[in-house]
Amino acid sequence: MGSPLVRARGLVKAYGEGRAAVRVLDGADLDVDRGELVAIVGRSGSGKSTLLHLLGGLDRVDAGTIELAGAPLHELDERGLTTVRRRDVGFVFQAFHLLPELSGLENVLLPAQLARDGLEAAPRARELLRRLGLTDVASRLPSTLSGGEQQRLAIARALVNDPALVLADEPTGNLDEESGIAVLELLRLAADTGRAVVLVTHDRAATALADRVLRLRAGRLLQ
Amino acid sequence: MRHDRLRALLTAGGIVAAAAMIGAAAMLVFALATGFDRSAVRADLPDVSARFAEQPLSLVASRVRALANVRKTAYRFEANGIGVQANSDSASGGVVEGVLPGERGYAIVDGRDVARRGEVVVERGLVHSWHLQLGDVVTLSGGGGTLDEKLVGVAVAPDSVAYPLQRTPRLYTWIDDARRLVGAGPDVDVALIWVNDRSQLDVTLAQARAASYGVSGLRFVTREGFHQLIGRAAGIVIALLVAFSLVALAAAGVMLAASAAAEVQRRGEAIGILRALGATPAQIANGYALETAALTAPAAALGIFAGLLAVVGPTRRLLNVLNELMPGTGDTFLLLAGCWAASVVLVASATWFPAWRAARRPTVQALRGSDVVLTPRRVPLPGLAGFGARLALARPFRATALIAVLSASAAVVLLILTIATVLHGLEHDARTLGTQYQLTVPAGETSIARVRAIRGVADAAPRYETNAADSFELGESFQLIAFPGDLARYEAPPLASGRRVRSSGEGDVGLGLAQALDLHVGGALAAQLPSGREVRFRVVGIVEALRNQGLLAYVQPKRLLAAMPDLTADIAVKLGPGADLDRVRDVLLSRGVYSQRTGGIAQDYGVSGTFGRTSFLRVLAALLRSVAFLDGLVCLYALAQMLALIARERRRAVAVVRAIGASRAQILAVFAGSALLVAAIAAPAGIALERFVLGPEVARLAVSYVTLPLRSGLEPVTTVLAGLAVAVVTSAGLATRAATAEPIVVALREE
Repeated sequence: MGSPLVRARGLVKAYGEGRAAVRVLDGADLDVDRGELVAIVGRSGSGKSTLLHLLGGLDRVDAGTIELAGAPLHELDERGLTTVRRRDVGFVFQAFHLLPELSGLENVLLPAQLARDGLEAAPRARELLRRLGLTDVASRLPSTLSGGEQQRLAIARALVNDPALVLADEPTGNLDEESGIAVLELLRLAADTGRAVVLVTHDRAATALADRVLRLRAGRLLQ
Repeated sequence: MRHDRLRALLTAGGIVAAAAMIGAAAMLVFALATGFDRSAVRADLPDVSARFAEQPLSLVASRVRALANVRKTAYRFEANGIGVQANSDSASGGVVEGVLPGERGYAIVDGRDVARRGEVVVERGLVHSWHLQLGDVVTLSGGGGTLDEKLVGVAVAPDSVAYPLQRTPRLYTWIDDARRLVGAGPDVDVALIWVNDRSQLDVTLAQARAASYGVSGLRFVTREGFHQLIGRAAGIVIALLVAFSLVALAAAGVMLAASAAAEVQRRGEAIGILRALGATPAQIANGYALETAALTAPAAALGIFAGLLAVVGPTRRLLNVLNELMPGTGDTFLLLAGCWAASVVLVASATWFPAWRAARRPTVQALRGSDVVLTPRRVPLPGLAGFGARLALARPFRATALIAVLSASAAVVLLILTIATVLHGLEHDARTLGTQYQLTVPAGETSIARVRAIRGVADAAPRYETNAADSFELGESFQLIAFPGDLARYEAPPLASGRRVRSSGEGDVGLGLAQALDLHVGGALAAQLPSGREVRFRVVGIVEALRNQGLLAYVQPKRLLAAMPDLTADIAVKLGPGADLDRVRDVLLSRGVYSQRTGGIAQDYGVSGTFGRTSFLRVLAALLRSVAFLDGLVCLYALAQMLALIARERRRAVAVVRAIGASRAQILAVFAGSALLVAAIAAPAGIALERFVLGPEVARLAVSYVTLPLRSGLEPVTTVLAGLAVAVVTSAGLATRAATAEPIVVALREE
């Protein structure tokens, strides 16, 4: 077996200063392989989202190392992190974060545009929308779509650049049970097609679909 | 808490900046727009000023006393061409107004008035220019003798612009001293008249004309006439400064209101929580409005004071130039207090209304978050710049207001640049005055053949010029300019009506003269020449001549020379295409003839009588360009504010775009798209506004006797477009810098 896609060691992240400082991550280690769906659970405020942000290059560690596909995120400058986010990472947010001015298709195509791949990505995006059952709503604005449709669009946006790592932060948190299951199945499918998927969740259905479930407690990840 | 304090400081900073613009603009508008009236009241400027050839006081006084409607009078003896010297400075051609006890018609702004012989009051412009102080000795020399006078006061009278723009310094002495300077007898030559009823001034003037039998050289200037004279000199500048200030006021007001509304938008979720806890929309709106007012009150006071400090110096200098006074402390305080109150009310209202509207939304919707969730317009704009444009369009009212501000600013800047170009042309380019020849040679007709023989010279003709007075009214003086043959080949101001002169009995009159004498094509111009002879011409055309305010007539020389046989000519020299002007001048010089370039007003005549000096044109042009620059800064400020508001309102959307891989350059493209959309609509609107409304209107208001070419050309349009492009890139750069300085997760976390 080769090296893991994600390799994080001794992650430390604190908020606040002086005596008020809180270490939400305190030596967390994590390996994630391609094709693996890892669920991370924990109490609110335990640092789950922070871990996801660090893995995706949205935030920087105070200490520790993160390698993504061999690239040392902890050493990269902002420009390097931007490239990694654009090329290797897809994000799915709890609140979807679709841009309300853009249609469904335009939202999906946005990461490809940022990668200057818009034209080539268009057929790929349409195929993704077809597979996700969103063809009919592709031209509509997000505000006219249901929560489930919006989250599926967000997943399509996360997958359009064919990233190696998909990070999902409470992807079912704002959805009803039926929509939530559909979204989880999509993430499972993303993992089954060779991507590494890390999702932060409180949802039992999500943990049931995961290959591994890790609990974040006292700043560390436990099996 | 710390974060909130920082945000409050940033908000207060924005209010300070906008309030500074409001304070500066309001001060400028008030000080300039009311300058003449305020100064006229303070100086007790007479309703009519009558100048005439020297007459005994008793004769003039008895005639004036006989007029109805006269409230009070004063008489002076005006000595002209007086040498003035003080400390190490000197000037020739000074005007010394000899005054009698009684009314004055000027305001003493320092020291005291003249009370006896040996004392002098000096106009403020001269005092500032020469750094004079009370008690200094001022030496006056005229044809009748030299006097050392003690400077006892400083005066301002808004009936002319100030020294050194008006090159003749003005001083006030006891009347006997003024008479002694020119060796005059006990006569007066100026009467100042204040009337009871200004609406009957025309009747009074008609009576005065009728009663002026035996009084020669009589000329009246009314208070309104002085206002118009000052207006001719500086009216455009003041109008533009006022327009600029109003644009700045509008920009600051819109941005203050939009900023306050954006702040409410950010608090959408908190409003939802308050609603969920049972607060009424009015309670919520009142609370936010009070909170904002508490923040705005000190910030606006600080900003308005800063704005006042920024413009008070330049405003004072400009008013000094115009011989006008700054507003009093009380008026200024009231004005600024009004601005302060308006700013606080504006911000509080701009907070109250959106807070009230947000609180009236369904509570669940309000609880969803603070990001703008409007139904966006489906505008098919591609790429990241297109996304930025849609961000701007998500706020259609703000975008429209900004487009209005930018297009008005662009139009004002275009107008200013065009006027500056015209002023430059007036000063340097003879063609602006309709002159078609390049050199003037002070040599007689006998030299024409020799001049024509010089290589590069296409043609040469004698040019005659003399002053004349209208024979019918004997008041209006004008210039007669004569060329043999087709004079339009040498001087061709645009024809307003009729045709060019073809024979010696015909004349083309300037529009200014036609207006003054009510001349029309087909009428007769009767010119009283300095020789005492009269010569008449049939008016065949009316030309828009800028020279001498259009008080001139073009004729052929035959009749003129018959009436003035000793009139000498200069030679007007036309060069051929591609001829080297300097070389031709060198050849002329080598033959002992000094030639003059035919420049614009710099080398020729005053554009507006006593005030039309080349230095003044230069000052006006420089001032206008400064205002254009400031107006450009207003554009930049307005654009930067809009983008800052978008960045603030849409910080989470920007963070999402960054999260999915947007580089700084791509975020820049988003913001540039927002700014570009606004600029792309504002630019053509501004150009159209200037070319079809402002330009023609200002040209009409500025001078009635010509059509000034105030429709912007390619150069100012290119300058404005380049300026807008710089503003777009700069404002987008600033917004990008602010938006990308924040960690992505901080913006994403703000739910």
